[in-house]
Amino acid sequence: MKFKVEASGLRDKLSSFLATAKGSKRFVTGLMLLFVIAGLAVFEPVINAVRLGGRKPVEIGLFERGLPPSLEHPLGTDMLGRDVLALVLVGLRYSLMVGMMAGGIATIIGMVLGISSSYLGGRIDVVLNSITNGILILPTLPLLMAIVAYVRMDMLLVSLTLAVFTWPWSARTIRAQVLSLKERPYIMLAKVTNLSDLEIVFKELLVGLIPYIVASFSFSVIGTIMAETALRMIGLGPAEIPTLGFLLGWAMTYGALAQGFYTLVLAPAVLLVLIFVALNLVNTGLDEVFNPRLKKITGL
Amino acid sequence: MKSLLQVKDLKVYYKSIWGDFKSVDGVTFEVYENEVFGIAGESGCGKSSLVDGILRLVAPPGYIAGGEVIFEGVDLLKIPEKELRRIRWTKLAYIPQGAMNSLNPVIRIEEQIIDAILDHKQMSKRKSRQLALSALKSVGLPVEVMQMYPHELSGGMKQRVIIAMAIALKPRLVVADEPTTALDVVIQRGILQLLRRLKEDYGMTVIMVSHDMAAHAQVADRIAIMYAGKIVEIGFVYDVFEDPLHPYTKGLISAIPSIGRKYVKGIPGLPPSPLNWPAGCRFHPRCTYATDVCRSVEPPMREVSPGHFVSCHLYGEKA
Amino acid sequence: MVSYAIVLFISFTVVFFSLRLIPGDPVMRFVDLMTRRYSYEMAPEIYKNVIEEYKKMFGLDKDIFTQYLCFLRELAKLNLGPSFLNFPAPAQVLILRALPWSIGLLGIATVIAWIIGVVAGTLLAWFRGSKLDHFLFTVAICMSQVPYYLMALFLVMLFAYIIPLFPPRGAYSPTLVPELSISFIWSVLRHGTLPALSLILISAFGWMVSTRSVAITIVGEDYLRFATAKGLKKRRIHNRYVFRNALLPQVTGLAMSLGFIMNGFYLVEWIFSYPGVGTLLSLALGLLDYNTIQGVILLSMFAVLTANLLIDLLYPLIDPRCLYEV
Repeated sequence: MKFKVEASGLRDKLSSFLATAKGSKRFVTGLMLLFVIAGLAVFEPVINAVRLGGRKPVEIGLFERGLPPSLEHPLGTDMLGRDVLALVLVGLRYSLMVGMMAGGIATIIGMVLGISSSYLGGRIDVVLNSITNGILILPTLPLLMAIVAYVRMDMLLVSLTLAVFTWPWSARTIRAQVLSLKERPYIMLAKVTNLSDLEIVFKELLVGLIPYIVASFSFSVIGTIMAETALRMIGLGPAEIPTLGFLLGWAMTYGALAQGFYTLVLAPAVLLVLIFVALNLVNTGLDEVFNPRLKKITGL
Repeated sequence: MKSLLQVKDLKVYYKSIWGDFKSVDGVTFEVYENEVFGIAGESGCGKSSLVDGILRLVAPPGYIAGGEVIFEGVDLLKIPEKELRRIRWTKLAYIPQGAMNSLNPVIRIEEQIIDAILDHKQMSKRKSRQLALSALKSVGLPVEVMQMYPHELSGGMKQRVIIAMAIALKPRLVVADEPTTALDVVIQRGILQLLRRLKEDYGMTVIMVSHDMAAHAQVADRIAIMYAGKIVEIGFVYDVFEDPLHPYTKGLISAIPSIGRKYVKGIPGLPPSPLNWPAGCRFHPRCTYATDVCRSVEPPMREVSPGHFVSCHLYGEKA
Repeated sequence: MVSYAIVLFISFTVVFFSLRLIPGDPVMRFVDLMTRRYSYEMAPEIYKNVIEEYKKMFGLDKDIFTQYLCFLRELAKLNLGPSFLNFPAPAQVLILRALPWSIGLLGIATVIAWIIGVVAGTLLAWFRGSKLDHFLFTVAICMSQVPYYLMALFLVMLFAYIIPLFPPRGAYSPTLVPELSISFIWSVLRHGTLPALSLILISAFGWMVSTRSVAITIVGEDYLRFATAKGLKKRRIHNRYVFRNALLPQVTGLAMSLGFIMNGFYLVEWIFSYPGVGTLLSLALGLLDYNTIQGVILLSMFAVLTANLLIDLLYPLIDPRCLYEV
């Protein structure tokens, strides 16, 4: 696939980005961690098929109950005789799927609203901004929980609902950036030429927004996974979609801790933390890479 | 005249990914007691960095790359921080550029004046208040200012507050960085008169850094002209203005607008970059008298007439 | 003030309508849930009657706009309608019973975390570049991203089960009666430690990170430079110049983050079965207790908005620049 790139546009930015990106330890670590996690999730069906001999990991009674961690069952088995490692991998896969879908939708909504709000300015901006801030300040989780409790949902609907509650984060970031870019000379120049607003947005604005869009996406993914996990732990949400949160909730409800099934609780929790850490590292790293004010230039 | 401050070969550089910005690149001069010493030059020639260097206020990415600053026999650059803190304000005060931002926005003026007093001298709160009040009076500010917050004052008033703070402990040397920039002409006059009074009524020594030649003309006793990180001319104000030796000084003075003159002549070209000073005499790319030797050899500082020094090949072996 | 009232009103209305517009009839859902759970069979006519009766009691038989008006009217009287959990006890009774526990735990934990974080953050910025700063900062970045409830899980596992130092659930020992005695207070403290820690450990680090950034910006400001030039004592500079100025944005930040903290906190309560509003919500959700759920949602929003208002009103006390606008 050949990209026709304009003079000092994408290609230069990409190469300078890669150069600085390599220098940021955080970014690189985060990215590697992400790859590992994503790899696990993508290859989960294969891994589980191999380990379990083609049986589904959620099948009850596949193995003996309550086995401690061993070579064959690195995380032991739970009280229904399921291999914990297999369960956790399935959970990881679904968690990431929901997170990325919901995060993606949230980012898109946030982008559209954020760009229109700041670009068009005026009353639209005031209204949209108030709504954004309102949602950000208020504790929306109970409302989200109520909605999920009463409505039977499939994965798409869940993602949509999660997105509806998460978009303000990306909207705010992107709006702030557009506001600062709007006053830059090259935008004003573009406005003077006869480009339509939409063209300006796509051609000039978006390039400068890319790092913020990426950052917004990771924030949104974190936010949606967190919200989804919170929902699950209380027992809400579709049971056919076994995310890590679902696993945790199920474990808590069935007294895993009291019975000593620590790995069942520990593994999903640790994986969730790893996902958050990885995404955050990528975010901080992105910040380091794109924000010239930071340490790099001063050499300190 | 006794010498109060000797600056020897001071260098202040700034680190960057493209190399070092050599803002102050070997500056040497002497300031005598009870005089107003002006330092003039364009924006970007290193004046403010020079002040930072003298007062040891250089912050990263800047650093002091060499030189000595001898004040009352002590090298300010080498003494330990505790000693420096004790000298600061009691003997050596600073009036920064942009008084607007130099005041703590959440603390009343009264406290801001007093905290400097109390941190240096042992005295009762009441005495320090009186001291603060008298300082305010001597700069012409009313008592009410004490209870106000910085944002309630105008620019000129803030500048005066800073000056009041500076003189409260009757220091020997006051360094004022662009004291009149960003103020309107009427206020400027007041501030300049105030600075002059510091020398005449209080016997202080004042170093005034400014790009405003007219201000120097009104207030300074001696003046140093700075260009491209180095001093190019030093002398008594009268001498330098009447008979400017360095081509750059000539350019600066002819650029001062005055009611009688019809044309104002500027200096052609742009100031060079501190990353890459020109070789030889740093002014040679803009100098109408430049010769080959100017392009390759840096001219030393020579005394052309009593008290009048210049660094220029035009006044070579002749002196 | 006015905007506060407007936002409050709008959010209540939004909540009301979004809950009402959810497809399905809450009464029917509840009755169905009950019959399923307790294997109770009902003849169809009785079923219809039961539903009708309940509906009347809950005011759900009228059209939506009348419902809305009734809702507002009852809300003014602080009456949320009967709950399902403890029928026929009205929802507000349940909520009020749980409220003190929540406010106590959440309030104290948030304040402690904030204070620790802001003080530590300023100190870190002061000693910027030192090994301590580097180490704590990295730790803080990692720790602050962990969700509260996950930390709660770790803590419960570690200190309540594996090493039984703290009790894993409840607000006080079930053998005790609420009274002002030392043993009771001690029990409350013991039971509250782990939940509070789940919040504090993460929140404090979060505040540390943000305060440090703010303080570093302040250290670069002109008035800090001037303060150094004045030769002020270091402690004075730190306290009156850096810290005082760093406080300002952090106070506003506190107000804005309350909603977020509350979100995570409800789950923490549930994990510890702490008898607060969060656990109440979880139970209500499990039972589809309409009025209680609604009550908790409304209460949470009200609490956050009020806290924001309070902080807005008190802000001029610490930032003299704002005095004019009040």
